[in-house]
Amino acid sequence: MRRRRRKQRGAKPTGKLRITSMMDILTVLLLFLLKSFVADGENMTPAPGVELPKSTSTENTESSLVVAISENDLTIGGEPVAQVAQLMQSDRMLIEALAARLDAAWQKREHIAAAKGETVDELGQVTIQGDREIPFEVLQKVMFTCQQSGYGNISLAVIQNS
Amino acid sequence: MAFKKRMGLGNAIESDLEILPLMNLFVVLIPMLLLSAVFLEISVIRMNLPPEVAAEDAQDNSGAKESLLLAVTIRDDAFVVEGRGIETAVIARETAKADAGGVVPAAEDGAPSAETRLQELLAGIAAAHPENEEAMVIARKQTRYDDIVGVMDAVRDAGMPQISLLGAGN
Repeated sequence: MRRRRRKQRGAKPTGKLRITSMMDILTVLLLFLLKSFVADGENMTPAPGVELPKSTSTENTESSLVVAISENDLTIGGEPVAQVAQLMQSDRMLIEALAARLDAAWQKREHIAAAKGETVDELGQVTIQGDREIPFEVLQKVMFTCQQSGYGNISLAVIQNS
Repeated sequence: MAFKKRMGLGNAIESDLEILPLMNLFVVLIPMLLLSAVFLEISVIRMNLPPEVAAEDAQDNSGAKESLLLAVTIRDDAFVVEGRGIETAVIARETAKADAGGVVPAAEDGAPSAETRLQELLAGIAAAHPENEEAMVIARKQTRYDDIVGVMDAVRDAGMPQISLLGAGN
């Protein structure tokens, strides 16, 4: 029974999907996507909730500690450390919570350097991803805190305006 | 069973490339790559803050060199460009920008935007003082980060790559 049915169907011309052209598209797309991964510089993704400002700067990003300032939170390495609203209210320039995290990161760096038999003599590098709407006051405090903790090499992340 | 059927069919009628498995692979692979692809080109503006100790020395040096001391102050209503031996210029800005919720309104036809005029002014200053590479950007506490980056761009594009960022009183 089953055999016969199969034979019958086999005798008929079959309607096959013509996917060769689609394959072509997909192959080209795949190549383009793979090419987009081959970019110089460190690939950096903006922190969630942060809308970076646009700039004409073309300098490449480097891997470093990331301090992100969204409209509500201040995060370091993805972990929230403080509220932006609180920072704006406080009169102090130093952000203790951030400083503590930065110092911890600095110690870790020294530890690694010591294990390698090197010494840490250069400035620490940090990238600040600030939302375009944040007031300068907050940025200033964050930069001040970074500098106090020895991270004098500060980069401001921006979106390349092409 | 199904496999046999297909084999038999293919042999009998036509020999076609079996690209369906490859299709399946692509259908999975491409959305995955699309998801992880970065379409925004992120770059950085490098700010090299001098260490705390060296700050005073740097100030002394700049005084001795008789530098231009070009300063661009970002006020809510205007950009103020001043410097040693330069006529102070005030460029009025559209104030509507601050409360537009991040959407920069298009400049009115004909009149160049404040940013454009600032760029032209700075380019003129840079042309008159080619040896000067330093400039100060002075921002107020409430100045939007976006505006600061915009002014820093204008200054850098004018040919003064060493930008210091300063905070004004209030």
